[in-house]
Amino acid sequence: MVSWQTRTAKLLGRLTIRQALRRQLDIAEMRKRIKAMERFFPNLPPDVQVMTEPGLSHCDAEWLKPTAGHSDRVILHLPGGAFMTRFKRAERFLLARLCRATHARGRLVFYRLAPEEPWPAGLDDCIEAYQQLLSQGVEPKNIMLSGMSAGGCLALALLLKARDQDLPMPAGAMLMSPATDLTDDYDQGSRAANASRDAVLSLEHGDEIRRLYLAGRDELASHPYVSPVVGDFSGLPPLFFQVSSTEILLDDSQRCAERARDAGVSAEVEVWERLPHGWQALSFAPESGRAIGRLADFVRECCP
Amino acid sequence: MSQARKPDRRSPGKAYMNALRQDHASLSRVLRLIDALADRLSRSPESVKPVLLDALRYLFQYHHAFHHPREDRLFARIRARRPALEETLGRIDHEHVSGEQEIAALVGDLENANTRQLAGKPGARLAARIGEYVQHARIHMRDEEVVFYARAEAALNEADWTAIVDDDGPQDPLLDPDSIANQYPALAEHLGLAAGYLSETADQEATVADFHRQLIALTDVYGSLLHDGLDLTRANVKRLLAVRGPFGLLRTVGDISTDNLRFAGHCVSRPSRWAINTGCTLVLAWARPYLPRQASDNSFDRS
Repeated sequence: MVSWQTRTAKLLGRLTIRQALRRQLDIAEMRKRIKAMERFFPNLPPDVQVMTEPGLSHCDAEWLKPTAGHSDRVILHLPGGAFMTRFKRAERFLLARLCRATHARGRLVFYRLAPEEPWPAGLDDCIEAYQQLLSQGVEPKNIMLSGMSAGGCLALALLLKARDQDLPMPAGAMLMSPATDLTDDYDQGSRAANASRDAVLSLEHGDEIRRLYLAGRDELASHPYVSPVVGDFSGLPPLFFQVSSTEILLDDSQRCAERARDAGVSAEVEVWERLPHGWQALSFAPESGRAIGRLADFVRECCP
Repeated sequence: MSQARKPDRRSPGKAYMNALRQDHASLSRVLRLIDALADRLSRSPESVKPVLLDALRYLFQYHHAFHHPREDRLFARIRARRPALEETLGRIDHEHVSGEQEIAALVGDLENANTRQLAGKPGARLAARIGEYVQHARIHMRDEEVVFYARAEAALNEADWTAIVDDDGPQDPLLDPDSIANQYPALAEHLGLAAGYLSETADQEATVADFHRQLIALTDVYGSLLHDGLDLTRANVKRLLAVRGPFGLLRTVGDISTDNLRFAGHCVSRPSRWAINTGCTLVLAWARPYLPRQASDNSFDRS
């Protein structure tokens, strides 16, 4: 049974974000509205502190540390936002809660956004963040990768690229409703079946988002670093997907997990019932706490 | 996959702590499963009960019987070296005892409950208790890791570790596929599943009631109207603020009226027949239980 808090959030998401995505795509206006909406998200919990140094070459990044002390684990989190915008506060709070639950440090990467900085700028920033962790002496077995929505896509692309560059793999990856397929098969599977049921996302401007992200080079959409679902998953660490049954991105997770398992990689998909996209970040909803509890369990499994 | 618990004699402390951390990893895997299964207990008790029972038994027979005593030995040594941690250690000890009692009670209650009971309120209550246990276990693990695991290696010396390690117990059955399949077959089978549906099945999910579908479509239509209205209002206010002089005002009011009528004609004063019919159907569907029974009987007779 979906809680009343989440039902309310679904209704608000349908009336705001989904409507904005269905109407004319105006990135500046969308960023402005998201900034205004962010005022309703809580600030950091008092027992987690934020440090902005050291940053990355081309973008900002933050360290989140539980004040009660931390283990050797580090969660490298890549926020979502259709590659063009982001819910900065909500993602920071989500990572803070994950860090608290797992007794880990968090690294939040505000990778460069399209259309100003199209692909591969954002992915390069994520790779740099990962390499920076390694150069700081963090052992790969203590690094957990996490990503929400577009950040999930970048997390998978990071894994594929890191493997191709012979970098050591992190201990595991947590992927929250990742968008893993940017090819133009928008009229199939969950993208069609859940087109009206998804309370947040709408693909009416999917082509335009892809065009802006790839700076018009649509042929890149079938590149594994853009659409990880077409990639070769062999050699990747354990993957854990959380997705909702009513999301248009449901198949993105399931297809990736299938491909991963075919390649001999441990991959698990948790399909939650009728929740909105990105519910893990809704700190006021009980389902969010439970999802974070399970993500924390997965972190302990991969980073004992 | 099988990883025997053989402490490294060159660094017994490190090996022992690694083993404890590995226990927490296995425990987390099973807690995640229990949490998901507890959700489904009252909806599909036949399929969930055996797996849940196996998972709870695993916690009782391994974690409470062997992992906690291992920790207790470690904590006893830490207590001797760090008296300041006495109070926290006392709390952790108490949680070990109360956790064991609670899990024994949960196993007993689940064993004794029949399918009918599990499908009703007793099942929901049991699921809630299991959920609480999972939450406590997670917090308990985190506290242990924060307070003791992080300090143990610095606090204890070689002699302490030798004493603790010499007294070590059996290996976690979850690390050995054969062992887990023999001891907990339902759990082993479930851990091998690829997808964890927290709802019943994907197919059931796909068949949403028509009522919901229509409600969603209406919300989209009126959500879109709301945004159109807001955009128009914003534009009107901007125009009015830019007015200079009475003629400008007249012209602006004229423009605004034309735009608003067009907007209204398009969306509000003449909404589509579909929106009206769907709205009426939804109101009737919602009100049907409250309508006088006779009225609905009569209409049935007439038909």
